[in-house]
Amino acid sequence: MKELWKGNHAIAEAAMRAGCMFYAGYPITPQTEVGEYLSGRMPELGRKFIQAENEMAACYMLQGAGSTGMRCMTSSSGPGFALKQEAIGYLCSNWIPTVFVNVIRWGPGLGSLDSAQTDYFQATRGGGNGDYRLPVFAPNSIQETIDLMYEAWDMAEKYRNPVMILSEAALGQMMEAVEFPEFKEGPKQSEMDWVWDGVGDRHSFNHGTPLYVDKPRRVREKIETMQENEQRWESYLVEDADYVCVAYGLPSRTTREAVDQLRAEGIKVGLIRPIMVWPFPFKAFAEIKKDVKGIISIETTDAGQVVEDVALATKKMVDGNVPVYGLYTAQKVVRPSEAVAFIKRVIAGEEKEVF
Amino acid sequence: MEIIFAGFGGQGVLTSGLITAEMALSAGKNVTWMPAYGPSMRGGKAYSVVKFSDGVIGGPDYDTPDVVVAMNGPSLEFADCLKDGGLLIVNTDAVDTVPDYNGRIDVVEVACTTLAESVKNIKAANIVSIGAIIKARQIFDIEDAKVALKDYFVSHGKGKFAEANEAALMAGFECVK
Amino acid sequence: MAVTKSVPRLLENPHTLCPGCGHGIVFRLLAEVLEEEGYDQKTILTLGVGCCCNMNPPAWKGDVIQTAHGRAGATATGVKVGRPDLLSIAYQGDGDAYVIGLAETLNAAYRNEPITVITVLNNNFAMTGGQMSWTTMPGQVTVTSPNGRDCDITGLPIKVPEIVASFENVNYVARGTTISAAEINKLKKYIQTAVRNQIEGKGYSMVEVVSPCPTNWRKGVADCAAWMNEEVIPYYPLGELKNNNK
Repeated sequence: MKELWKGNHAIAEAAMRAGCMFYAGYPITPQTEVGEYLSGRMPELGRKFIQAENEMAACYMLQGAGSTGMRCMTSSSGPGFALKQEAIGYLCSNWIPTVFVNVIRWGPGLGSLDSAQTDYFQATRGGGNGDYRLPVFAPNSIQETIDLMYEAWDMAEKYRNPVMILSEAALGQMMEAVEFPEFKEGPKQSEMDWVWDGVGDRHSFNHGTPLYVDKPRRVREKIETMQENEQRWESYLVEDADYVCVAYGLPSRTTREAVDQLRAEGIKVGLIRPIMVWPFPFKAFAEIKKDVKGIISIETTDAGQVVEDVALATKKMVDGNVPVYGLYTAQKVVRPSEAVAFIKRVIAGEEKEVF
Repeated sequence: MEIIFAGFGGQGVLTSGLITAEMALSAGKNVTWMPAYGPSMRGGKAYSVVKFSDGVIGGPDYDTPDVVVAMNGPSLEFADCLKDGGLLIVNTDAVDTVPDYNGRIDVVEVACTTLAESVKNIKAANIVSIGAIIKARQIFDIEDAKVALKDYFVSHGKGKFAEANEAALMAGFECVK
Repeated sequence: MAVTKSVPRLLENPHTLCPGCGHGIVFRLLAEVLEEEGYDQKTILTLGVGCCCNMNPPAWKGDVIQTAHGRAGATATGVKVGRPDLLSIAYQGDGDAYVIGLAETLNAAYRNEPITVITVLNNNFAMTGGQMSWTTMPGQVTVTSPNGRDCDITGLPIKVPEIVASFENVNYVARGTTISAAEINKLKKYIQTAVRNQIEGKGYSMVEVVSPCPTNWRKGVADCAAWMNEEVIPYYPLGELKNNNK
């Protein structure tokens, strides 16, 4: 039976059901409920919760536990998530599967508590040093958050790479009716062939080559494989659309309302909703018709971030020099009426293209 | 259906939204509930938004609500975004003068606090407002709503207040003609 | 009776530490203790960043996690969560554990995490070429205190084991040195006690090793020993600072 659950609590419970054995984190609004929930629930099931001294320490605790093959996670927001960037690099460097949850709040520095998508670049480009990528899940409902959380470790272990769940303040704070999957367990630590187990330097690539040998090529191959295999999206009325919107997370829901309103007026608009924002769903753009008139990124940023990926995908997948527009609503999820008005201005030629 | 419950912090507008969401869920609807968040919470202002529908629900925040419950004067600002023909419930115990909306919207005046007091449950002014909406807009069967209300308090370990809260719900329900 | 001592299996491969460095002795003692306790294949060593990085594989044949600068206390905490049946040992220099990683070091100790931390104190940041550390002695010349350390503006040499020993539930804290055969024997005892402390589930343990750095001190080995005896060891007293087993 469905029950009303708050987004942040649902993340925490879904993590437990996905086999998370260890959580380390430091409180920061608007994701504090994740840790609060797990502080009680983890020990209840004989699992481990540590309130770390800071966000960095939490991540290095994950490095330790993750190296032994244990399913573990941390969560944060805003400046707290910025502090995790160095460690994400170390985890990528050492090929340690772990799960990061960012419930995005607006702005750089202290920012504000408003719901936003301003950490999009940080998530998809990486805020640490070096060349690495993380698969980034971007749910737009609490049920989808649960479902994606449930498979996060499976993907992390498949590629031996950290993965990220990108939530946003409003999605963490709101409630929806959801159902949870059954509890499952991760693979046995002793059965994984790469883990740190106290014996010696056996945590090589899967064929016995030490981790530091031929690394650039292996990194590139891994990134390319993830890009090829893990693109995920939902298309809504794209095929015949003269204008195609692109939005992920909560803005995708209000944009879809806007699409419905415009369709009711006979205006052919569609929506591509990335479910993973890295790898970005380039393949989704293959469905766009040849004589499409414009692509519109709708996002909760100040100056446009997602729009750059939208432009790259348009360049690669759509013939002709199709203009790409951006509607950035900063600290507020776009309202359907705002999106409708913007799209109408685009159609009227009153908006300037970004790319 | 899109409802805003607005008032000062402490008037229970998050709870009244949540209870309404639970009532909608038990009526088999898709539901979202969102608390006011960020700067909008400053200055003691609080609100929550409930949306329910048989179909897909878009964003959880308000856009053009069907119903606004204004538990205090400052909350009347939400009335401006009500759709034409929408319903404004005004808590006259905390609002001195109700503006004239020239018939654009329906206005129902409810003395929420006085009615709550009359059933010896002064804290339940927020629940009175739910009863008023149910009567004015027939969003739920009142008997089903009573069951959902009771379930809410029982599941939150406050079952002993269920009866007093039902009285508040009915006081709101019955005051609307 | 003659005793034959073979090189511990964990140290069969050559290392790249400087001649006269104390690290080599500490690693040797650790390897011996782990073999003697039967844990040489049941230990995950977390290395900080600094000269201890020289002991990454293949130099150390055991299991090693290379963590970020200063974070070994946190990483070793996580290792113990992941594999409570194994020994989790953090091995760090003073710059790593007491300067950049002071928070992680003290917080792991404060929580009484069931790990063992070995720190090597050589009064400077050796790996990066001899900069001032929080353990640099008053007046000591380093490349970032070229006129000698002025403690009025840079603080006095820090004594982290003393702070850790003040945490009531921490069980074992000791300070040894590699300066002489006799002190090396004592140091091995300290490391052994600290390791046993973890094996027996008695919580956090720390051993600090006062150690020479001939390369960055720009001194011969004999001069290193003389200076340590005159200045460093009187400031950093040797022995068990805390042993709740007694």
